[in-house]
Amino acid sequence: MRWLPRPPRLTAMGSLLWPWLCAASVALSLLMLATLLTLLAARGLGHFWPATLEEVTLRSGETLIGQAVREAPLPNAAGTERLYFTGNRDIDGNSWRWVALDDIATVAVPNDLIRLERAPWGDFIGRLETVESDGQRFEGDAAWAFVAQAMALPESQRPVAQLWLTAADGHRVTQPLAGVMRFQAPNAMSWHQKVSAWSGRIWQFLSEGPRAANTGGGVWPAIFGTVMMVILMSVIVTPFGVLAAIYLNEIAHQNRLTRLVRIGVRNLAGVPSIVYGVFGLGVFVYGIGGSIDSWFFEDALPSPTFGTGGLLWASLTLALLTLPVVIVATEEGLARIPDAQREGAVALGATRLEMLTRVVLPMATPAMLTGVILAVARAAGEVAPLMLVGVAKLAPQMPVDDEFPYLHLERKFMHLGYHLFDTAFHGEDVQAAIPLVFATALLLVLIVLVLNLTAIFLRHYLRRQRGNEC
Amino acid sequence: MTPPRLPLSRQPLRLIHDRIATGLITAGGIGVLLAILAIGVFLVWETLPLLTFGDALSLNTLSPLAWGTLKAALAAMLFATPIALGAAMYSALFMSARLRGRIKPMLELMEAIPGVVVGFIAGLLLAPWVEQHLASTLLVLVWLPLSAGLAGMLWYVASAKVRQWLPLSWAGVWLMPWLAIMITLALWLAPLLEHAWFGGDLRRMLDQQYGLDYATRNALIVGIAMGFAVIPSIYSLAEDALADVPANLMEGAQALGASRWQALWKVALPTAGPGVFSAVMIGAGRAVGETMIVVMASGNTALFSASPFEGLRSLSASIAIELPEASPGGMTYHLLIFAALALFLFTFLVNTLAEVVRQRLRQRYQRLGGNR
Repeated sequence: MRWLPRPPRLTAMGSLLWPWLCAASVALSLLMLATLLTLLAARGLGHFWPATLEEVTLRSGETLIGQAVREAPLPNAAGTERLYFTGNRDIDGNSWRWVALDDIATVAVPNDLIRLERAPWGDFIGRLETVESDGQRFEGDAAWAFVAQAMALPESQRPVAQLWLTAADGHRVTQPLAGVMRFQAPNAMSWHQKVSAWSGRIWQFLSEGPRAANTGGGVWPAIFGTVMMVILMSVIVTPFGVLAAIYLNEIAHQNRLTRLVRIGVRNLAGVPSIVYGVFGLGVFVYGIGGSIDSWFFEDALPSPTFGTGGLLWASLTLALLTLPVVIVATEEGLARIPDAQREGAVALGATRLEMLTRVVLPMATPAMLTGVILAVARAAGEVAPLMLVGVAKLAPQMPVDDEFPYLHLERKFMHLGYHLFDTAFHGEDVQAAIPLVFATALLLVLIVLVLNLTAIFLRHYLRRQRGNEC
Repeated sequence: MTPPRLPLSRQPLRLIHDRIATGLITAGGIGVLLAILAIGVFLVWETLPLLTFGDALSLNTLSPLAWGTLKAALAAMLFATPIALGAAMYSALFMSARLRGRIKPMLELMEAIPGVVVGFIAGLLLAPWVEQHLASTLLVLVWLPLSAGLAGMLWYVASAKVRQWLPLSWAGVWLMPWLAIMITLALWLAPLLEHAWFGGDLRRMLDQQYGLDYATRNALIVGIAMGFAVIPSIYSLAEDALADVPANLMEGAQALGASRWQALWKVALPTAGPGVFSAVMIGAGRAVGETMIVVMASGNTALFSASPFEGLRSLSASIAIELPEASPGGMTYHLLIFAALALFLFTFLVNTLAEVVRQRLRQRYQRLGGNR
């Protein structure tokens, strides 16, 4: 026996190092995944944190107030420049400012800087001078106390008041209190207050509609649209998928043809989603929708009712898209049930229907559930087919409201994934919208990952609980 | 004793129920299968009117798109295949079983990340960054495999204690910080190297010496982003194929004195070859059909250019962008449906091929006495 390894020759060297390259590719994949998720989480959630406002005095004597966003090297010279978000679009028409680091004389963080979120014009950053309400004028601390008190009330009960504000360059503006959504003095806030402001803004993001060309507000209509579409889709896909799986596995004769069909179904899962979108547009929207319009909604023509993309067509298209997922998962569940169970039921006198509904289907439920969850997860993240069959940039009406018949299948709807795409690529002020896009992306990824994890754990748990046979 | 019998009149009712239900299930099942079949029929049917356009028909408008599709898919496969196959080989044969149980589902979850999210990160973050740091990016791409080899060499030189602490079977995890450090190092070194070799600006040099334009969103970005999306599907299937290689084959090879890598290279890979091949095919099918990533990360310029630094436009992206505006019945409409048909046929064929190969492989494993 040889105790010391022989020094490896050059050819053997390769076979020693290859495993490390393979290990590195696992590490690299994990690293990329972790980077992506961290990036989404940090940028998505970080945006809601009340950021410190800096008062910057330049060497030229000019001052500006803003939130430092990022730094980049100067394009044509040595050194770096810093991007400040300065708000106040109504005063100078620009809410961003690049400042070279060398030009900065002093940076201060005074406690009296405020940030207002207003209905028109976006954010204001500057100082609060006076408040005028009912002929009374408040200055200094009294003004602060008044605003804090007023903002604590619900929106409908707030008093009518005018705020007198000064921007960094000494520009004075008045702002009615009614247009103020949020009043913050982030530099003066304690850590505890910041956390509560942060969670408040996350809640606002989840529960409100978009404002100011998607640069503010939230994504509630998009969440609602996505959920609505996914629910409708699973209502359609579950029975049909299960039916097809039962037919393939329990009723059809197992021969070459069923094997072919099975391969075909499996492969449909790999067909690009955009192809389903084309099918949905051609058959559902133009074909069926066009016919419905010419039969029932003739008075509304030429403006289409069902002959354009809408909730129903989108759900149907996605149901078709996810059908293979449900069929394959259910079939796997059915195939795993031992034949003895079926034979036992039939031997005790059950008909095939009774055997199916009382013995086989209950045992296959976990598999079906897994299939449906996987289908939902796939549908929630799919955007390309929706661009063809009914998603909208900004839907004026929700698909569900208090107007008869309450559920409006023909309406267009908003979708998280498409909202993300549209805001990031067709927005007016993409720079300002990006933090919210990150938050939307994080939300979408979280929804999809949670659904997938649920499916994994469900499968794992039920398999363990029932032993390996089902 | 005679068992209690149901009244005779109930018996036929049960049977009738059963008949009806069986009929309904059959009808429903066949209906669903026909509906799926209808996709192909519809696409062919809507393509037929193209023949009536006669001379006015120009398939030339599609050819840059087809080229763009191939270029994007090729870029993605060049990035994804080595990483995915390497990861599959490592996790099937080298990784500790406990770690594998954790890592495999995690990598498979990667597949669930929606294309819009990947495309958005690639188009809005990665693309501008790479544009400014082209040399660094290329350096990192070259440096990563070298640094992995370096880690291996250091490991063989290191003392036995260190080797026990950081075993190869857990390398997939503890190499992560190592790679992160190496990437940082490469990013720090890149500007110096760029200064020394390329006169300070690689992009300008490419432009002046080789006449290569640089578009912000280009094939390189698409390759990285779509590669990221394709890695998990290739990995998952290839790993299954490799892990299912009958254990007695591997043990036999190792008993005859082969190292683990030799057993993998000479025994496992040839045996599982078809499975690995089908995994790559399915990955290619996915890369050809992926839409949102290409729309967001490619710049959507229909060009005939082989340069990795220029934009492209793929068939799927064209369909997504143009079809909603095309008037039904017009030539653009039918052309785009023809493009969809091409995508459908391509992916369907590729997937069928892969599936058939996998079934053969499963039979081969059974013959070889696998445990499945």
